[in-house]
Amino acid sequence: MKKKFNIKDILFPTIALFLIAGVCTFILALTNSLTTGKILENAEKTKIETRKMVCPTADSFSEDKTVTVDSQQYTYNEALSQTGEIIGYVFTASDKGYGGAVTVMTGMDVDGKITGVQTIEINETAGLGMNAKKESFRGQYKGKTGPFTVSKDATTDTQIKALSGATITSNALTNAVNKTVEIYNHIKGGDNNG
Amino acid sequence: MKVYLSIILAAILTNNFVLSKFLGICPFLGVSKQTKTASGMGIAVTFVMLLSTMVTYPINKYLLEGLGLEYLQTIVFILVIAALVQLVEIALKKYMPPLYNALGIYLPLITTNCAVLGVVVLNVEEGYSFGHSVANSFGAGVGFLLAMVMFSGVRERMESSDIPEKLKGLPIALVAASLTSMSFLGFTGIVEGMLG
Amino acid sequence: MAEKKNSLFKEFSKGLIDENPVLRLVLGTCPTLATSTSVESAIGMGLAASIVLICSNIVISALRKVIPSKVRIPAYIVVIASFVTVVQMLVSAFVPTLNEQLGVYLPLIVVNCIILGRAEAFAGKNSVLASAFDGLGMGVGFTTALFCMGFIRELLGTGTITISLLNNGNPLFPAIFGENPITIFILAPGGFFVFGMMIALANHIAQKKGKKIAELHSCKACPMFENCTSPDKEVKE
Repeated sequence: MKKKFNIKDILFPTIALFLIAGVCTFILALTNSLTTGKILENAEKTKIETRKMVCPTADSFSEDKTVTVDSQQYTYNEALSQTGEIIGYVFTASDKGYGGAVTVMTGMDVDGKITGVQTIEINETAGLGMNAKKESFRGQYKGKTGPFTVSKDATTDTQIKALSGATITSNALTNAVNKTVEIYNHIKGGDNNG
Repeated sequence: MKVYLSIILAAILTNNFVLSKFLGICPFLGVSKQTKTASGMGIAVTFVMLLSTMVTYPINKYLLEGLGLEYLQTIVFILVIAALVQLVEIALKKYMPPLYNALGIYLPLITTNCAVLGVVVLNVEEGYSFGHSVANSFGAGVGFLLAMVMFSGVRERMESSDIPEKLKGLPIALVAASLTSMSFLGFTGIVEGMLG
Repeated sequence: MAEKKNSLFKEFSKGLIDENPVLRLVLGTCPTLATSTSVESAIGMGLAASIVLICSNIVISALRKVIPSKVRIPAYIVVIASFVTVVQMLVSAFVPTLNEQLGVYLPLIVVNCIILGRAEAFAGKNSVLASAFDGLGMGVGFTTALFCMGFIRELLGTGTITISLLNNGNPLFPAIFGENPITIFILAPGGFFVFGMMIALANHIAQKKGKKIAELHSCKACPMFENCTSPDKEVKE
């Protein structure tokens, strides 16, 4: 079984593997430099498109601003009209759902009325909790002022009809939206005091 | 502490690699005829998962991210895993023959096991710290072991049952896997419920 | 010439039916089960894996005389991983929604046994052209099997089929079960179940044609066959 140690047996495969790896790395670096710009552009585009979805009347959005509520830091953007006036806000918050964090983006006008809700990150059960992505659920928040509660059959304006078979997801999404309402109140409160 | 416990439990029960993420199906179907081999494979996978996580974490954090070479992640991870598996195999064979006979024989199969690469990639995607990554890998490995052992038990019993001709072999094994995975669906949400 | 054409067609067509990687060789089971929750992601995974398979088959067969046999497995892995990363970058640049749908399963194409299996069993021993056709056939076979799985699961699990490129991303037809589709089919248990039924059907057809049924684990097709020391290894033909 014992083989004689032969330098050629080790050197040649090593060099061959090294060369293959080198060429591959070069190709990857090339593709990377060609695609990074596009990937970043995509991410930026999706971000702005989502903001537009939750705040359709806005013309543009301010730079990221931060606010601390209950010792947690949140990033938000102001929605600006064509003339640069603040006509609303876009907030992001998350809460724990069935399969991990549920993150939502909420748009509000200056009076705190919700103009739209979009799910940013959601990993719930397909066919049940995932239905929270549908307009039929998300649309329930639109045009209303929070905070909201979840119930079986929504009768008042602040009640949200739970998804059938996915109460935890409904709660998580609603809690996340309520957090954005809290952030809004905090900002507004701050404005009044200042 | 609670965070670690919830990561481990979630990886074992709710996000079980085999039964809900479909990672590592080949050994799950291939090496599950007997409970003994199934548990050997499960332990070997857990060990390699833990080791790979501990080695790839610093490489990714300090070398790849430090130099802005994230696009080399896939290639570096798979090579590190492959090399690691070989090294462990050689070391076991030479220094611990009994352990090699029990576990080492499964090692070559693990190189192309998507569960190992899967756990490493998922740790990076989730942005876990070193401790969290190790906890997640441990949970994933134990979850794999649990699924393997449970399933091999089911299959051992199936050997002696009367199965419709057309379903014999692989089809009935997959139906059994389906039922096993259905039982794991019942765990969804339990970790959040237990640990608040 | 005609004979040559014929044999190339054979390399291509064997992957479709007789040696369908998913239903006959039982390879690539992880992506098959994981990404067949919808027709769209099934086709996306099928195409992505096929591109990697064809490219790596071509490159590996072109380099088959240069790669020392001692390090061929690591060399194959490097080539495959590079193509996977290239595909991953292109997908996230040009089809970001697909990237989101496939998630972790996109980088995991690296360990799809079909690709390493074909490199070891075919591309490392055959000409570039034959390997390209082999890859194409296997890729089409993989995609077709995934499409069938995705179609059954999405239809039963959601009641309809939705493809974002067609019909403005709306369902192609009204849901067949109304409000209550059989959701379990797009969950994990449904994946195992549908796969089992499809293998049973493929076995039935194979038996009628006088071929043997799919092995529980077709060891011979596994890329690690030669190095495998598992006691479950099946050496018989």
